[in-house]
Amino acid sequence: MPNTRILSIGFPAILASSVHDIKNSLTALRALLSQLETVYQDPKPTEFRQLEFETNRMNNCLMQLLTLYKIDLSQFSLSIDEHSVADILEDVVAQQSTLLSLGTVQLITECHDDLFCYCDNALISNALCTLVNNAQRYCLSKVLLSVVQEDDYIIFCIEDDGKGYPENLISSDYKQLPQIDLANGNTGLGLFFTETIAQLHIKGNNRGFIITDNNSQFGGARFKLYLP
Amino acid sequence: MAINLASKKILVVEDQAIMRETIKHILGSFGARFIVEAESGINAITAMRIDRFDIVLCDYNLLRGKNGQQVLEEARHLKLLPVNAIFIMVTCEQSQEMVLSAIDNKPDDYLIKPFNRQQLLSRIERCHIRKRYLAGIENEIDRGNLYQAIHNCEQLLQQDDKKMRMQLLKLHAELTIKVGDFKTAEAIYQDILQERELPWARLGLGIVAFFLGYYDQAIKTFQELIEQYPVMLEAYDWLVKAHESVGNDEHAVSSLNSAVTLSPLSILRQKKLALLADKTQNFAVAKKAYAATIKLGKNSIHGSSADYSGLANVHLKNNAANEALKILYELNQQSQNDPEAKLRAALLETKIHQTKGNKVLAQQAYEKTFKLNEQFNKHVSKELRLEVAKTFYLNGNGEICDEILNDLIKTNIDNKLFIKDIVTMCTAIIGENHAATLIQHIKKELVDINNKGVSLFQEGNIKEALAVFEKAIAKMPDNQTIILNMIKIIIHDIKTSKSSGPEKIISAQSYINKAIQIGIPHNQISGLQIELDTIQLKTTQ
Repeated sequence: MPNTRILSIGFPAILASSVHDIKNSLTALRALLSQLETVYQDPKPTEFRQLEFETNRMNNCLMQLLTLYKIDLSQFSLSIDEHSVADILEDVVAQQSTLLSLGTVQLITECHDDLFCYCDNALISNALCTLVNNAQRYCLSKVLLSVVQEDDYIIFCIEDDGKGYPENLISSDYKQLPQIDLANGNTGLGLFFTETIAQLHIKGNNRGFIITDNNSQFGGARFKLYLP
Repeated sequence: MAINLASKKILVVEDQAIMRETIKHILGSFGARFIVEAESGINAITAMRIDRFDIVLCDYNLLRGKNGQQVLEEARHLKLLPVNAIFIMVTCEQSQEMVLSAIDNKPDDYLIKPFNRQQLLSRIERCHIRKRYLAGIENEIDRGNLYQAIHNCEQLLQQDDKKMRMQLLKLHAELTIKVGDFKTAEAIYQDILQERELPWARLGLGIVAFFLGYYDQAIKTFQELIEQYPVMLEAYDWLVKAHESVGNDEHAVSSLNSAVTLSPLSILRQKKLALLADKTQNFAVAKKAYAATIKLGKNSIHGSSADYSGLANVHLKNNAANEALKILYELNQQSQNDPEAKLRAALLETKIHQTKGNKVLAQQAYEKTFKLNEQFNKHVSKELRLEVAKTFYLNGNGEICDEILNDLIKTNIDNKLFIKDIVTMCTAIIGENHAATLIQHIKKELVDINNKGVSLFQEGNIKEALAVFEKAIAKMPDNQTIILNMIKIIIHDIKTSKSSGPEKIISAQSYINKAIQIGIPHNQISGLQIELDTIQLKTTQ
C-alpha cells in the first residue's frame, strides 16, 4: 500500500513544506531578476514587467496558501492591533512599486491621514496586494485604492478602468470557492482568501466581509473590503 | 527620505550570496556607504564586536549555526547593539513572527521575503521614525531610570500624536508594571479595552491580576486568550507562571508543553519545560526537553552546562547510569574553558560513580570537585553552589556545606523562591530545622547591622552610618532593607548638608534603580523617587 504510506505524513504538511521551498526559490529568483534588470538601460524590456507581475502573483498565492493551511489546522490567530490606514496603503504601494515603475499604469491612493483600523495589518496588506496586483493586470490605465469610514466599518475600495469582473466573480457567497476558470487564468483564490480573513475580523456582532461589482467610477471592476 | 543612510553603519546577515548582493545593491542605491556583510551568525557577532551598527538586517533562516533569533539574543546579551539601533528580522512567512516570538527578545520589526527596494526602505524608515520618537523613553530604560522613562512617556502622550498613541500606552502600561504600579497599568488596559478588544491589552490585565496575587482570575484570562488566539505564546508563558505560583506544577508542565510544541526553537521555553517536568517527575518530557535544550544551546547564549547535568541526572533517576556517562562525556568536551561546566562535570562524575558503585572512581571525582570548588566557588551560579553544598554534605563534609549555605542565604535572603529551594534541599537530606536555624541566625545578624546603621544615623553620625551600609551592601548586594535604608540616608544627607555635588544624587538614583531591579514594591520606592526628583529640580534651578 505505497500510496497510504506516503500520505500518512499528511498531504497538507507536504504542501506546506513545499510552499516553503518554492518561496525560497522565488526569493532567489527575484533577487536574480533585479540584478539582471540593472544590466538594461531605460526603457527596460517589457518582459520585466510581466516577470514582476507573475512573481508577485506566485508569492501572494503562496502566502495565502500558507495562511489558509494554518487556519485549517487551527494553528492560526490574527494579530490584531490598531494600525494607521495610511501605513497600510503605503505598504501596498511599496509592494507594487517595481511593477508600477515598469509600466504605464497609475496607482492612486486616497485616504485620510487620521484614519485608523483594527486589523491584522500583514494579512490585510497581503490581501490588498493580491487584488491590486490583479487590478493592475486587468485595468487599462489606472487603479484607485481608497479607504473611508462608514458607520461601524472601515471600507477599503479598489476600482479600475478595465472590463470588469467576469460574471462568476461578482458578489455571491465567497465561502464557496468560486468556480475554477482556467480559461481566464483566474481562480478567484484571492477573493476567497480575502473573504476568509475578513470574516475573522470581528467586533461585537459585526464581522468583516467583501463585495465585488462592476460599478467602478472608472467603469471597470470594483472591490470593497469591510472591516468592523 | 526621512533617513539618511549615508551616515549609517549597516550590517546585512544573510547566508545566500545572491540575496546579500541584492540587499547591498538596494542599500547602496539609497546612499548607504558603510555596509558590512556576514554570511553566518558567528560572523555577525564578530562584526558587531568590531563596529557599533545603526541598522542590522538579519535573516532568520541561516543555514548553519545560529539562527537570526539566536544572533539577536546574543547581541543584546553581550550589549553589542546600541540602544537606538534598528534590528530587523527577515523571515519567510508572516505567521513565523508569532512562533519565533522569544520570551523577551524581540526585533524592532519583521520583513517578509521576498521584498523589493521600496519595501525595504519603507520598513527601515518606519523603524527609524519610531525609534527616534521613543528615544527619550528607551534611553532612560536602558540606564535603568524607569521613573524618568515613565515621565517622558507621559509627556509624549500629552502631545496626542494619534499614530503613536497606542504604542505609547502599551509602553506606559508595561513600565508601570515594571515599577510595581499595578493600579495605573490596570487603568490603562481597562481604558483601551473599553474602546476595543485588543489581545495585548487583555493579556496586560491578566498580568496585572497575576502580580496582584489574583491567580485564579489571571489563569482564567490567559486561558480565554489562548482559546481565542491559539498561537499567542506570551499568554502561554504567563499561564505557566500563574500555574506555578499556585503550586500547580502539573498544569504548568502541560501548558508549557503546548507552547513548546508551537515554538520548538525557543531555548528558554525548552529549558524551563525540562526543569519543570523534571521537578514533577515527568521524566519522558524532561528528557526530550533537556535534549532539545542541549541541541539549541550549542548555538545559543542561553546554552549551559546545567542542561547536560540536568539530562544526566534524569538518566540517573531512571537507573540509566551508562546513558548519564555518555552525557558526562559530551559535557567534558564542551567544558574546556568554563569553570562552571568543569565543576558541574566533577559533581556529575561523583554522582554517577557512586550510583554505579565504583568507590575509587567516585572518590577521585569527589576530590576533583573539592579542588574546583576551592578555586571557583564564588564565581559560579547560586543553583550550582547549592548542588555543591549538597554533595559536600553527602560526602561527610558538613562544615563546608554550612559555609556555602550561610553565604547563599546571606546574599539571597530576599529571594523567596531560592530560599525555598535551600529549605527543601536541607529538609530532604540534612534535617528539618537545619535551614531554618541558619536563616534565623542570618536574619538576626542583618537586623543588628541595620540597627547599628540606623542608630548611627539617628545620632547624626551620617558618615559612619553610610559606611556601615556600604559595607553591608558589598556583602549582601541584593538585600532590600539595606538598600532602602541606604537610599533614605543618602537623600537625608543631600538635604541636610549645605553643599552637595551631583555625585550624591547620582548615587541615590543608582540605588533606586537597583531597588526596582531587585523587586522592591512601588509603594516603598516611589516616595523616595519623588523626594529625589524635587531635590534635583531645586539644584538645577
